[in-house]
Amino acid sequence: MKEKMMKEVKKYYKLFKNSIEFKSIQFVISVSFILITILAMLFIGIALYNKVSRLSEQNAILNTRQIIDQVNTNLDYYMKSMIEISDYIDNAIYNDYDLQNGNLKQQMNVIVNSRKDIVTLAIFSEDGELILSVPSDKMKSTTNIKEQDWFTTPLKEPGNLYFSSPHVQNIFDGQHRWVVSLSRKITINKNGRRIPGVLLVDMNFSVIEQLCTKVSFGEKGYIYIIDSKGNIVYHPQLPLINVGLKQENVKEVQEHVFGRYFDKVNGERRLITIETVNFCRWRIVGIAYMDEISTVKKDILFYIFWVFVFGILLFIFISAIISSKISRPIKQLEKSMKMVEQGQLNINLDIKGEAEVAQLSRTFNLMVLRIRQLMNQIVQEQESKRISELNALQAQINPHFLYNTLDSVVWMAENGKHDDVICMVTALARLFRISISRGKNIINVSEELEHARNYLVIQSIRYRNKFEYEFNIQEEALRYKTLKLILQPIIENAIYHGIEYMVDKGKIKISVSIENDKLLFIVEDNGVGIEPEVLNSLLDKELNKKRDSGVGVKNVHERIQLYFGKQYGLKIESELDEGTIVQIWLPLIEEVSKEDKQNEI
Amino acid sequence: MKYKISILLILFILILSESCMVNKSTSSNFINNKRKNIVFISKMSYGYHWATVKQGAIAASKEFNVDIDFAAPDLEENVEEQIKLVNNVIDNNDKTVNAIVLAASDYDELVDVIEKVYDKNIPVIVIDSEVNTSKISSNIITDNFEAGKKMGNILVDICGKKAKIAIMSFIKGSRNAKQREDGLISIIAKYPDIKLISKEYCYSDTSLACNLTKKLLLENEDIDGIVALNDISSEGVALAVDEMKLGGKVKVIAYDSTTQELHYLEKGVIQALVIENPFSIGYLGVKFAVDKLNGKKIPSKYLMETKVIDKNNMYLPENQRMLFPFVW
Repeated sequence: MKEKMMKEVKKYYKLFKNSIEFKSIQFVISVSFILITILAMLFIGIALYNKVSRLSEQNAILNTRQIIDQVNTNLDYYMKSMIEISDYIDNAIYNDYDLQNGNLKQQMNVIVNSRKDIVTLAIFSEDGELILSVPSDKMKSTTNIKEQDWFTTPLKEPGNLYFSSPHVQNIFDGQHRWVVSLSRKITINKNGRRIPGVLLVDMNFSVIEQLCTKVSFGEKGYIYIIDSKGNIVYHPQLPLINVGLKQENVKEVQEHVFGRYFDKVNGERRLITIETVNFCRWRIVGIAYMDEISTVKKDILFYIFWVFVFGILLFIFISAIISSKISRPIKQLEKSMKMVEQGQLNINLDIKGEAEVAQLSRTFNLMVLRIRQLMNQIVQEQESKRISELNALQAQINPHFLYNTLDSVVWMAENGKHDDVICMVTALARLFRISISRGKNIINVSEELEHARNYLVIQSIRYRNKFEYEFNIQEEALRYKTLKLILQPIIENAIYHGIEYMVDKGKIKISVSIENDKLLFIVEDNGVGIEPEVLNSLLDKELNKKRDSGVGVKNVHERIQLYFGKQYGLKIESELDEGTIVQIWLPLIEEVSKEDKQNEI
Repeated sequence: MKYKISILLILFILILSESCMVNKSTSSNFINNKRKNIVFISKMSYGYHWATVKQGAIAASKEFNVDIDFAAPDLEENVEEQIKLVNNVIDNNDKTVNAIVLAASDYDELVDVIEKVYDKNIPVIVIDSEVNTSKISSNIITDNFEAGKKMGNILVDICGKKAKIAIMSFIKGSRNAKQREDGLISIIAKYPDIKLISKEYCYSDTSLACNLTKKLLLENEDIDGIVALNDISSEGVALAVDEMKLGGKVKVIAYDSTTQELHYLEKGVIQALVIENPFSIGYLGVKFAVDKLNGKKIPSKYLMETKVIDKNNMYLPENQRMLFPFVW
């Protein structure tokens, strides 16, 4: 099972590997380019993110610290002003020998009326007796002042100011106000005696609240104040704290006088900044949610992410362009090489690319050119070899023909037909002279016609009365030259295959003319004609190699094409029992070309 | 040509990304505008208890940034009007209501309408008292039976094991009153010498409670203690005892902590208070509604503790906070 799986996996891997051209230059360049960029961007992005987030965090910490400092300064100032008020009253009491004369009470009234945050000013004797209070209220009969912290502490530790925890002031009838009590030991003149007493300044939370509510760190952040015992003095959600729906981790805060620490609540990282107010030893605690106060961190993450995404898209794009730019000429080169491989040599690359590629293509061009030259050379050599072969073949006189002719001569001489003998031998001599014609391949049209005529003379004597012939010559055509020995093989063919088997007398017409700026020989007979399939294969190079007949005709055709090109050569029309027309197309040659002369040599 | 196209493409991408960021910021503003709306229906609109419940609800609405519509019938026993109020919420098409916090006046009669609301997929948080259906999102109640037991224990402590007592309840058929009463009786039943002389209903009316008490005290001079089962009846009883100058002689065990009650406690007319936590009830009612709307899990039943307060412990810091509303 496992092996099967492995096999499958391997198969797919192979497929995948093959589907992408892993080794193509474009792929290698693109991938390495992209990998390098991603690595670089990751590195820079992470480094940047770390640095920026650290900076922003530090900044946020600094900010919260500054805000808390500000609150601290304000609270400090407020407490100081309270102390100053108490100092002022203390002084007034010290200097006033008669507390009941209303002077002091008036001053205290002014203070309470002008300050909304001061609820009560009161003076008590050491025994807990209320001496003077503003606003004047009746004391509750039930309350025992001597049990209250604010009363006992200054008496125990004279000279010290005492700030109480927030509490409900329950000494006056019908009042249950939440206050912070500032109390101190004073000396009162009572009945001319100086006795110790306690001055009480009750303040409500309006100013403290004012100082703190406007402070916030983000949406959720806030500050709260605890006193030295851990009681909460101010909290934006004090009602919830009071009924126990919300708790603050006061214990940990109490361990710090000044400083900051981090904690985690519900998975959210909070910065807790603590500072202590000088006079009352209250601690101001700032709670800030890190993800809120250092929003830059989130922003920068978001920003880096997008830059990263777009950067990579961009680099993929650019690398695709660059790699294709580099690999395109190479691919082109590769394509051209494939074409050369398939045999197309007439290719000339015009590749503009990097220096190396350009050099490569130049070299490639040179190489292809060289190959082409060599191949042309081979073709030429082959052709000239063929020509010389054919020429050699042509030069051979058919021994059969010679034997037959000489036999005829002997036979005529025996019968005393001297005239015929003379005629025949003369024709034979001329025939040979023209066919040799000092080794030239190109001869005058008239010479070629003479050659044909002599041949016909000999053959007409041999095949007595078997056929007759006529020449039809355009005068103009005589000015031009022709390849030699092209008519004789055609005529020979016409006699041996066309006329020899005829019952009636045959007729051979030979004409020469200029048609469409070409030289045209026509050999026409009224013989038996050529069967279509034979006709079709007559000029074909390969097919009739074995056959004896038509060798001469084909030879002529090949020679003409070798000399003058494919557009020249033979055209044969034939109809059974009607006759055959052979057209020989040649270029108009006035002078023998140099090449031809060379060949002759 | 190709390069031009690529440059255009890059510009296009940059513009696109820019617009994405802009979209994001605007969409977040849009979410903030869509505040949740919660309807808060209490049993009645006056009295210390309901005012405190309302304060708790307001505190929660500020904390969780939701709108609250308060509604209540004029009288606690007016169940029909409360049903009508709940029906209004369902039928009102002008304003979408996301959740309802309801202090049901009756154990049975509100069942139909509550189930109707619940079936409409609107969360229903029932506070202060129970209802006879399970088709509610959550139920926040004071443990009334336990509260009654606490009252019974104090009564035994103060009046001794041999005493004549009376009960001042508030509404006949009120489940809360019944449970408190049951709790109380479950304790005094253990003491055969404690005799329940009378049980009165004041229908949440202070002056009626006062008059009933006076009548009761005149008719039975040997009554040792009166137990009042809610804030209004407590005030009435204390007022009567105070006016008849029987403070301290007739022990009063009261419920809840209005300013008047605290006054009488300090004065010695009321000997002990059993206090519940109406602020928390209101706060938690809204908090649970918000939690439910945000897909958080909330408990199906939440029991609030009660506490006994007397003259000696009322100024302890932790009790101060519970008894005296904090005013800035």
